[in-house]
Formats: sequence, structure tokens, C-alpha cells
Amino acid sequence: MSSRPMSSQPMSSRRQLKLGAFLSTPGNHLAGWRHPAAVTTSDMDFKQYAHLARLAEQYKYDTIFFQDTAAVNGSRALAGGDFTRARLSRTVKLEPTALLAALATITTHIGLIATMTTTYNKPYNVARRFASIDHISGGRAGWNLVTSQIEDEAQNFGYDEHLDHAKRYARASEFYDVVIGLWDSWEADGLLRDKASGIYMDRDRVHFLDHEGAHFKVRGPLNVARTPQGRPVVAQAGSSEAGRELAAKTADVIFTAQTKLQEAQAFYADVKNRTARYGRTPDDIKIMPGITPVIGATEAEARERYEELQELLPDDLALQSLSHISGGLDLTKYPLDGPLPDLPPSNAAKARQDLVVRTARERNMTLRQIARHTAAGTGHRVLVGTAEYMADELETWLKQDAADGFNVICNYYHQPFEDFTRLVIPELQRRGIFRTDYEGTTLRANLGLRVPENRHTEARNAAAAEEMADPRA
Amino acid sequence: MLRFGAFFSVPSCHPTGWRHPDAVPEADLGFRHLADMARIAERGKLDAMFFQDSVAVVGSNVAYGNKPFNVRSGRQAHIEPVSAIAALAAITSHIGLISTCTTSYNEPYNLARRFLTIDHISGGRVGWNLVTSQAEDEAMNFGFDRHIDHAERYDRASEFHDVVRGLWDSWEDDAFLQDKASGVWFDHTKMHILNHEGRFFRVRGPLNVSRSPQGRPVVAQAGSSAVGMNLAARTADMVFTAQPTIAEGQAFCRAMRDLAAGHGRDPEHIRIFPGLMPIVGRTEQEARDKYEELRELVDDATGLRGVARLCGGLDITQYDPDGPLPDLPPSNAARARQDMIVAMGRRGMTIRQIGRVLGMSQAHRVAYGTPRQLADDMQEWLEADACDGFNLLFAHYPKPLEEFVELVVPELQRRGIFRTEYEGTTLRENLGVPFPENSFRSRQAAHV
Repeated sequence: MSSRPMSSQPMSSRRQLKLGAFLSTPGNHLAGWRHPAAVTTSDMDFKQYAHLARLAEQYKYDTIFFQDTAAVNGSRALAGGDFTRARLSRTVKLEPTALLAALATITTHIGLIATMTTTYNKPYNVARRFASIDHISGGRAGWNLVTSQIEDEAQNFGYDEHLDHAKRYARASEFYDVVIGLWDSWEADGLLRDKASGIYMDRDRVHFLDHEGAHFKVRGPLNVARTPQGRPVVAQAGSSEAGRELAAKTADVIFTAQTKLQEAQAFYADVKNRTARYGRTPDDIKIMPGITPVIGATEAEARERYEELQELLPDDLALQSLSHISGGLDLTKYPLDGPLPDLPPSNAAKARQDLVVRTARERNMTLRQIARHTAAGTGHRVLVGTAEYMADELETWLKQDAADGFNVICNYYHQPFEDFTRLVIPELQRRGIFRTDYEGTTLRANLGLRVPENRHTEARNAAAAEEMADPRA
Repeated sequence: MLRFGAFFSVPSCHPTGWRHPDAVPEADLGFRHLADMARIAERGKLDAMFFQDSVAVVGSNVAYGNKPFNVRSGRQAHIEPVSAIAALAAITSHIGLISTCTTSYNEPYNLARRFLTIDHISGGRVGWNLVTSQAEDEAMNFGFDRHIDHAERYDRASEFHDVVRGLWDSWEDDAFLQDKASGVWFDHTKMHILNHEGRFFRVRGPLNVSRSPQGRPVVAQAGSSAVGMNLAARTADMVFTAQPTIAEGQAFCRAMRDLAAGHGRDPEHIRIFPGLMPIVGRTEQEARDKYEELRELVDDATGLRGVARLCGGLDITQYDPDGPLPDLPPSNAARARQDMIVAMGRRGMTIRQIGRVLGMSQAHRVAYGTPRQLADDMQEWLEADACDGFNLLFAHYPKPLEEFVELVVPELQRRGIFRTEYEGTTLRENLGVPFPENSFRSRQAAHV
């Protein structure tokens, strides 16, 4: 069962897990907030986030990670007079990029990744904000590039419907090019600040982007100089065909939902193989599926804890967990004990819809069962068992090339996060598959990612090298 | 009582002040320097840190000689100020944190969310300085060839404000029940959906941030044109303005309070802060020496451009910079500031010398003297109803800020015209502007 190594001595050459603390406060489980130990104020209270960030840093997580939605979840239904959503948490929250900036001041090593949509923002503002947080944090910022897929959001930005899937990805790809280009505006030695000569900036080391594309026209340069880790880390979550291709081109980190070893291996191999098309190597991307741990001293106790939460969730609320992947179909009209009906194609989260439908079909689940199953992990893999069992599972996925690491998502906060952190991480460290100290002070250093060369510096160095090599020059 | 904002234009309000031997130009991107200054400002019980912003490298679109960028000016690369105040919120406890953010190149939903979030992180100490973008430099970073026309910009800003303010009231203060037993997370009768449809924006809401610890973030504004003043009178809690003399400060305060009353507001609920660059010395001679030193640091090209902007269309570059200021046609853009340079000319200053004064303080008033002289100056403005306080511009950082806090603040406290302790923990409490009721709720109450 366990592929646990015989030696307890960590070997430095051994591949190690990357871990993200995906903070879905006050709880990722739809009824998580109702647990007696849940801290319900952890959606808006900065002190609670500070507590979680400090704990994560104490235990050497690579990064904390915030997802985002630019709307109240379910606001379309709420605006239409359906108040089911009033019984679910994660209604309001702290905007994650502001939160990152604040958390940067009370931490020193942990990465700080937040989601910001390419659909309802402007590239100059996004480039500027993450570069700024990279400076504030000394090189620990990451941008999770997403396209907005929730109908709830469109109407907060003047649209009736959200953009079509293909268009969204075309825009996202160009958005990325602009942001990365702006991050290269300043070469490392662009700011002189030379009091004697009075020259503040070296005009020859600061560059216009002059981008003109189908979606954006941006001159530059960015008014933030090159950042402490070269440029912020880019994360991506798309698992659809278009999402994978964009990730292969752009992502340093991939956050994905994978529930089965074989499928995860296939995804892992596919994305890593695609990197070559963009002049990248498989090591340039770290793939981190989400997991939701439910830990007990024994397997039976863990199972009990899982059921305890499930009992707090009425069926009509469980159905809400399928609402954003239903392709617009009103599932409340279908019998709960019947099968999951065929869903119209979703313009939203294509890969997530596929995963849910496949799971329901393969396991012959009723609508009630698949809804409750999804509510418990929002599509991510739920691990129910002892700390040792969790460590076994994570180790297996690592060794069998299904993952480079994991994003840990908890049903509620803080208890399950504290349990996983205090019980599983020491076990991973004993097995030598998780760090006992940070490798460096930047997110790139800890994730084992290269510091990218500034394109203008690179071009100049290449030209100089060519000149050296050419004896006639 | 006087109130103070510390106006941050890092690394120096004086465009070339970063060259001063005491200056720390690394304050542009080095957060720890901002953190140090926040602690100094909070120790001095100042009301707020107030961050300027522009969404471009200055001079991206303007040739200096025949090349882009003003390479001598320090304001080229800096931490995005809304991120800066979010970070500062975590390490301060009482001081207000105000940042500029343009209505021209943002979406109201995103802006409302960020400021309200930081208001939560800080426990109610945030302010938004609402501006419209007017620099050509910025437009081309956002897909435009030219910046938007003045009137259009203000129409957009006005509607933008209304959307933001409406979104800030999406939730009543007690909307979130979080009742584990009944399973009810929020009381839907206390949620308000904006459903805004206007000329520039269509925004449904509600905002995904609960109501602010101070009701709503403070709104600051800096427009001194007629349109700008009217928008401020309707919407602002705080106005930042350039007023060169007591008489003009008085006239501005009267005009602004009258306009506010015209909008049905209590005129005392709008706090007026002229800009002031204080240069303090332990003796008058020391202060004068510092002043001269800073004036000498001004890059002439920057200073002369400052004069040229106030000349009402007259091409000042045709005149000898070491000669007198000629008679100027009236300027519609910045009347008050033109009057200021005309007065300097009458005192015998050359065009270059005037440029140096303008160039050192972004054309705000400069005062130098001993702590007592500076206190006299500010007290006179306060007692003449020419201001509610000052937004302080420091020629560089951190020393002039430190000197103000150590030398001038105690003198003002001794005179009983500046606080010795913060009145409260929110910016509204410290500014003395009221906690606003939720506008949806007051509307409902009016219907009952």
C-alpha cells in the first residue's frame, strides 16, 4: 500500500513536493462554515488570514493561494429573487491582491499568489499591481491568470453574458503577452538614482512595449522597475484544451483538479510535453492539483468527520455546487434520486463540467450523490483518512509523475488546515519529500524556477556575443 | 484644530529632491522606507498619508530634447499606491491611508472592491482620492491615442463615483448573521442590488465586500476647476487644493462650502487641505539655507516647463530666462497659480527663479522658517478660515517629514491647535466627518 522509503534520512537530490495553502475561507465545503469549530469571520477579518499565513510559513509551504470571483457568488439568482444563496458562505471576502500586499508585510519567505481575471481588467494595471507586490514582498508574488467564467461577474462590468470560451482565451493569451512585455520594461540596471550626476534613470535601459494586437494597444513602459525575482510567477488553472495550451506557453505553476492517478498522470504528461513548443522545459512548470484533506486518528474517525459535515448540508444547497457547471440547466427541476441529466455544453468551466459528468457516470451516482460529492470538494480530490494515509497518497502521486505538488484546500478554517499542517507535513519531511527549510527568499527560488532573463538584456548580450565571435566586426 | 495629510510623491515631492544628500531615493520601490515613514507620520499623529499616482512613466509621451523621459525626475518607477496602502494598513494602527486611483482607466466594481477591502484590513482608515487622468502619458497605456476630453472625463468621474458609493452600500452593517444553528449566512433583506444603468456604466452589484468599519471609505478630491469643485462639493469628504495666499484660501473655502450647502450637505463635513511644503530650521538662517539649497537643486528645464504652463498661451520660451516675467494673458486653467507667479515677478524674481520655486513643490505653497514661524503661518491660515489643515509636501524623504514631526508638531500641540492623541481609530473619526448611514437604508426609511 505504501511506497514509503526505508530510510528516514532526507536525500537532497530526491524530488520534493511543492505545497500551496489554498485559503478558501471560511470553508470550501458548502456547509463548512456551520461546523462548530469553523471561524466564520475568516472571510473578512485580516487577523484570521494573518494567522493562517504565519502558520503556513512556519511549516514551509511554498505559497498561499487565493482564488477570486469579481461578484457575489450566485448574485444573478439573488438579483432575481432566489435567496437560496443566503444560506451559503463565501459571499463577501477581502479582495485578494490587496490582501497579498498586506500579508507581504507580516511574512518573509512564503509565496503570495492571487487570482486576477484577464476578462475585466486592463493589462497595465495588472502588470503594475503584481510587480508592486513583488517589490513589497521581496520577490514572492504570483499572478494566477484566469478568464472569467461566471455569469454573475459579467453584469458587474456592463455585459449581459460572459464572453465566449474561445474569445476569452484569445484575450487571455494576448493579455499575458502584454503583461510579460511590461514586466520587461526595465532592465536590471535601469534605475541609477545617481545623486552626483542627477540622472535618475538610464534611458537606454528602459523600453517601450508598443504592443498593438486584436484586444490591446499598450505603449508602456511600466512605471515599476524590474522586480526582485525577475518577474512575478504566473499560475494558471485551465484544464480544457485551450487552457492547457495557454498554460504550456505561460504558466510557471498549474493549479488543476485531478481526482484519479491515471488521469492526473495523463494530464501531467500532456502539459509537460506541450512546453517544448514554446521553447520551455518540463521543469519550467510545476503541476499542483488540489486536495481536500479530512484527517482522523483512524480511518473510521476521518470518515465520521466527513459525514458530520455532509449532514450539515441540505440537498437543495448541495445542488448549488453544480450550478456553475450545469450549462444553464435548472437542476432543481430533476428528481434527486434519478441520474444526473445530460448537461448542455458549458461556456464556463468546460474541464470541470467534464470531470463531474464523468465521475457521476462512472460511479453510477444519482443527482443527489453527485451534488453532495461535489459539494464536499468542489471537484477536487477529497482524501479521507489518517495523516499517514495522506502522506502515502501524496508520495505516490509525486513518484508516479502525477503531480509536482498539491494545493491544500480545506472544508473550513482553521482546524482542518492546522491538522493537515501539523500532522502531515512532519511526516512528509521525515520521508524526505518536503523541505525542512526554505531554499531562498523568493517564490522562484522555492519553487525551483529559473529567473527569466530580461528580453532586452538578452538581445543586447546576444548581439555583443555575435560581435565578439565575428572577427571582422 | 489643524489636520494634516502627508502627501507622498515618492521618492520626492520636489522632482529632483531625491538628489539631496539626506534623501533616500530608494523610497520609490523600497517598501521598508515607506514603512519607516508611516511610523514617523503616525508618531506625529498626522491624519493621513496621501499618495499621488500616475499610470505611466512620466514623459513617456513627451520629448525631452529629442528623447523620451525626464531622466532627472525621480518619479519614474514606484510602488502602485493602492497596494502600498494595503501593505501599510497591516503595520499601522491609527493613521489614515489615502491613495489616488483614476476613474479614467479603471472599472468601478474593481475599484470599489479594493478600497473597501483595505478599509477592512485597516479597521476603517482608508480614503480614495478620486481623480481623472489628464496626462497624455497615461492614455497610450490604455489603448487611447489621446486623453479624454475634460468635460467627458468629469462626467465619467461623477457617474463612476456614484457607482462606487452605491456598491459600498451593498450590505447593511448587520447583514451577516452567520448563524450556524439555523444555517442562515446573511439576511437577504439587508442586501442591496445597485442595478445601475448610466451613460458610462452598467453595474448590477452587489459588491462582494461587506460594509466598511467607518461606513464608507473617505473620498478625497483635488479638482479646482469649476466642474471639479462642483463634483467635490457633492461627493468629497476632503479636498486637496493649491492656494498661494490666505485671501485665496478663504475664497476657495467659502466657495467650496457654499457649493456643498447647495448640494444639501453640512458645509463643515468637507475638510479643505491646501498643499504646503514646509521647510523647517532650528534658526531662521538654517531654514533659509535649506530653502536655497532645495531651490538650487531644481532642474531648470523642469522649472521652466512649470512656468510655461501658467502663461495663458504666451510662449515663454521666447524670453530670456534670466530676465523679468512679461505681462501674461489671463489663464483659464490655473488662475490662482498664475496670480502667484505674477506676484513673484513683481517682487523682482526672474523667470528662472520663479521656475525654481514652482519646480520644487509641484507649484504648491512653500514656507520656510523656525518651528515657531511655521506654526504662526499655519495658525494664521486656520484662524482666518482659509483651511482646515494642510496636505504637507516634503522635498524628499524621510528627513523633512521627521523634522516636521519632531519640531513643528510639538509647537502646534503646545498651542492647542493640533491633537496630542488620535480621536479614534477610523479616518472619519480623526477627520471629524460623520459615519454615513447606508443610503439604501435611508431611502427605505424615507418611504416608510
